[in-house]
Amino acid sequence: MTTVIKRNKWEIWRDVIFALFVREIRTGFNDKVGISWSVIQPVAFIFLLSFLRGRMDGGDTHTIPTFTFMAIGLLFIQSFLQTFGSAAQAISKNKALYAFRQVQPISAVLASALFELLVKAFVILGIIVIMYFMGMDLQISDPLLFLSCFFLLWFLAVSLGLIFGIAELFLKEIKKVRDLLTRPLFFISGVFFSLQDFPREYWHFLDWNPILHAIELTRFSVHSSYGDAGVSLSYLATVCLVSFFLSLIIYFTYWKEAISR
Amino acid sequence: MIKLDNITKYYPSQLGNQYVFKGLSFDIPSDHNIGILGSNGAGKSTLFRLLAGSEYANSGRITTDVNLSWPVALTTGIHQQMTGQENTRFIGKINGIADLESYEERVKAFAELGQKYYLPVRTYSSGMKPRLAFACSIAIDFDVYLIDEVTSVGDAKFRRKAKQALLERSEQASIIMVSHEMDEIRQFCDSAIVLHNGELTFYNDLEQGIAEYQAL
Repeated sequence: MTTVIKRNKWEIWRDVIFALFVREIRTGFNDKVGISWSVIQPVAFIFLLSFLRGRMDGGDTHTIPTFTFMAIGLLFIQSFLQTFGSAAQAISKNKALYAFRQVQPISAVLASALFELLVKAFVILGIIVIMYFMGMDLQISDPLLFLSCFFLLWFLAVSLGLIFGIAELFLKEIKKVRDLLTRPLFFISGVFFSLQDFPREYWHFLDWNPILHAIELTRFSVHSSYGDAGVSLSYLATVCLVSFFLSLIIYFTYWKEAISR
Repeated sequence: MIKLDNITKYYPSQLGNQYVFKGLSFDIPSDHNIGILGSNGAGKSTLFRLLAGSEYANSGRITTDVNLSWPVALTTGIHQQMTGQENTRFIGKINGIADLESYEERVKAFAELGQKYYLPVRTYSSGMKPRLAFACSIAIDFDVYLIDEVTSVGDAKFRRKAKQALLERSEQASIIMVSHEMDEIRQFCDSAIVLHNGELTFYNDLEQGIAEYQAL
């Protein structure tokens, strides 16, 4: 006989998120290369772009190696965009599964966000391995700051993804707006430049952007000589916290209505 | 007992909100096998989805102390790219099955998919997918099974088997079923709920319920 265990809410959550997570890994990629492509592709992209850029100039940008400078920028903007995108899509993608009462939209968002986190951890590992074999120095002056920036940015992406995911169930067109909004982020978040390249009086055009703060702070965390002029961890953390609570408010108010339409 | 408390449910449309239920309060007894009767568009499927927890009412709440199934044989949760076995595991995990291995075996035996059980669902013929879905839900011991025109699953042989399994199950568990086939309702149910103009009426005697429904 197949018996159903009585579970409390947390155990149900854990089981559902785990099941969705496995499903994500299983179904995300269906060709022969499979899931490894999700790591190989960004590693190759980041490596090529950073390497070429490093060859083109003297090899140093604001006292840090250009390769490191570029790799951090690309890695962070990619993590943000992909986590944001998949978190936002997770809600409508798994719509069929809400027929099971145990599956709630937020579990789907969390499962896909965790999946992205796992992938990005492997991407970082891949880049470190490449840097090691190319004989670049692998010093890091403030690992804790590095991790804080990485997780805060992930957290921000998930929160914003949750908001957009719910909104897109009400109005499909918001997906188009999301595509439109995310496109320029690649160019204004300091991936290819540093805030220090700009005169101080124009900083306010750029420094509202929390992704820029995360990227600049991470460069600072790797080489402290880079400096952290104009960016602050507390700004990044505040934006994350505000959007996190905002997303939870929106989610708890609207999720039942959103999936019942 | 499934308690509906002041349920209001509407769907937004171009012509304003289309109300299915307005302030509906009702107790559905869970120790009966109940057939839900109602004409097209009366809200049978909506009621069903609300009971199953697949959708939520705009206001009011549904409370119950029994373990309800999801709509039996619903294939939407089955993923095309995963094998039958993986889908089974997924459903089992979500529903909190204690022994996943034996659950898998049970589904495999019931669905009669043979080797195909270990192949992706997209390679299945059109009748095989509902068979898998049916097996997934019947292999779990729920207190109440929600059945939406289930006996249209698969070929004649499987249909007989499905009916047989449901009849056996209905000795310990109860069934809430939607169907337009009165013969089917007579076979499974002993009482009826007639759904008309957003109101529910419970008839302890099935024949009386059917008579009321046909007089509408």
